[in-house]
Amino acid sequence: MSDAAKTVLFATVLCVACSLLLTLASTGLKGFQQKNALVDQHRNILLAVGALEADRGYDAEEIEALYGRSIRCLYVDATGAVVSGDASQGGELPMYLYLKDGGEPAAYIIPVDSRGLWGRIKGYLALEPDGATVAGFAVYAHAETPGLGGEIERRWFQRNFVGKRIVNDAGEFVSVRIAKGAVKDAVRQELQPHFVDGISGATFTGTFLSQGLESILQTYEPVSLNFRTRGMLRIPENSKVCKTSPSS
Amino acid sequence: MQDLAVKLTPVRPLRAITEALWRTNPISKQVLGICSALAVTVQMNTAIVMGLALTFVVAFSNLAVACLRHAIPRNIRIITEVAVIATLVIIADEFLKAFLFDISKQLSVFVGLIITNCIVMGRAETFAINNSPPAAFVDGLANGLGYASVLVGVAFFRELLGAGKILGHAVIPQALYDLGYRDMGLMLLAPGAFIVIGLFVWLQQTLLKSR
Repeated sequence: MSDAAKTVLFATVLCVACSLLLTLASTGLKGFQQKNALVDQHRNILLAVGALEADRGYDAEEIEALYGRSIRCLYVDATGAVVSGDASQGGELPMYLYLKDGGEPAAYIIPVDSRGLWGRIKGYLALEPDGATVAGFAVYAHAETPGLGGEIERRWFQRNFVGKRIVNDAGEFVSVRIAKGAVKDAVRQELQPHFVDGISGATFTGTFLSQGLESILQTYEPVSLNFRTRGMLRIPENSKVCKTSPSS
Repeated sequence: MQDLAVKLTPVRPLRAITEALWRTNPISKQVLGICSALAVTVQMNTAIVMGLALTFVVAFSNLAVACLRHAIPRNIRIITEVAVIATLVIIADEFLKAFLFDISKQLSVFVGLIITNCIVMGRAETFAINNSPPAAFVDGLANGLGYASVLVGVAFFRELLGAGKILGHAVIPQALYDLGYRDMGLMLLAPGAFIVIGLFVWLQQTLLKSR
C-alpha cells in the first residue's frame, strides 16, 4: 500500500472512531442534560419573579418543588384569553403565572426569545398583575460576548428591570428599553421609568434586546391589557396543559 | 546493563509528578495555559473542575497518541493529535453539562478551549509521540496536576482576597468587615490573576535558583 493510501486509511479510521465516541457520549448523556436544561429554565422563571434569594444556591429538588408549588403554565390566544381544553387553533402563546403561596397571581411571566448580536437571547420577563410594571427579568441562554453583551445574564443588569413601566402615564404601551449608558445621564427625566441602564461596549446587544422585548411585549399586549383593565386573568377550569419538554 | 535501563525508559510515576508539579510546572515554569488560568480562577470550585477536566484530557490524549505512535503517518501527525484532543474535550464538556451543570455554565467556553491549550498539544507532540503508553499516561497526569495545582493556588488567593470566601464559604469574620476591612475588587478581575500568577512565577524562580 502506498504512503498516501495508508494516510487516507488511517485518517478515515480515526474519524470513524472519534465520531463513534462522540455519538456515544452525546446520546448517552442527553437525558441528564435535558433535565438540567429544564431545571435551569424553571430556576430562571423563579428568578424572574424574585422567588429565589440571590446569594443562595438551590439544588434541583428545591427548584422543582418550588416551581411545582408556585408556577402555573398556560396558553393564551391572540385576544389574551386563556385557551381551555386541548383545543389547538394555532397562534397560541405560552405564559406562566406566579401563584404566591397558591393564591392570587402575584405576577405573570412571558418567555423572551430575542435576537442578540451573536445568537438568540432566551429568558423570561415577569410583570406584576397591574399589567404595567416589570417584576423581573432573567436570561437562561445567550451567545453574547462574555464580559460585554454577556453581562445580560448578571444580576446587576437584570435587577435594573424591577419596577420599570411598560406603559406611560397616559396608559399607552411604550415597552421597556435598554439605554446607551446609565439611565440618569442618557435619558430624559420623563422617560426614565421606561429605560434600564445599558452595558458599555454592548450597544448592539442592548439595541437588539430592546427591539426583541418590544415585539414580544407587543405580542402579549392583549394579556397585559386584560390585567390592566380587569386586574386579573380568568382561568377556565380545564385550561390547556403545557408540554413539559424544554422548548429549546 | 546501563544501556538496557536507558532503552526501557522505566516509568517513575512519583518522579514525573513531582517534576511537573514543581521543577517543570506547565504554568509557573513554562508559562503555558495562561489564558484559561486567568479566566477560571475567580472561584476555587471552577478552578478545581477546570483542572480535573484538563488533567483528564491531557492524560488520555497522551495515552491515545502513545498507543498509536507507530501507526500515525508522519505527515498528518498534528491533525491526528488535534482530532484525539478535540474528541476528549467534547466528551469532558458533555459530562460536565450532564453532571456539573452550574459549574459548566460558569466555565462556558473555557472547557471547549482546552483544545487550544498549549499544554495538551505540547505533551502529545514532545512526549507521547516518542514514549510508551504507560509513561505517556503518567506524564499527562503529572502535567495536568501541575496545571491544576497552580490554578487552584491562584483561585485560593483570588477568592479569599476578592470575595472573602473559600470554596464559596465566607471565611473572613464579620467583625473584620465592621472594623473597616474591604474585599479587594481587583482580585476578581483579570489583572488580579496576572498579578497573582506573576507572583507565583517569581516565587518559584527564586526558590529554584536558591537551591
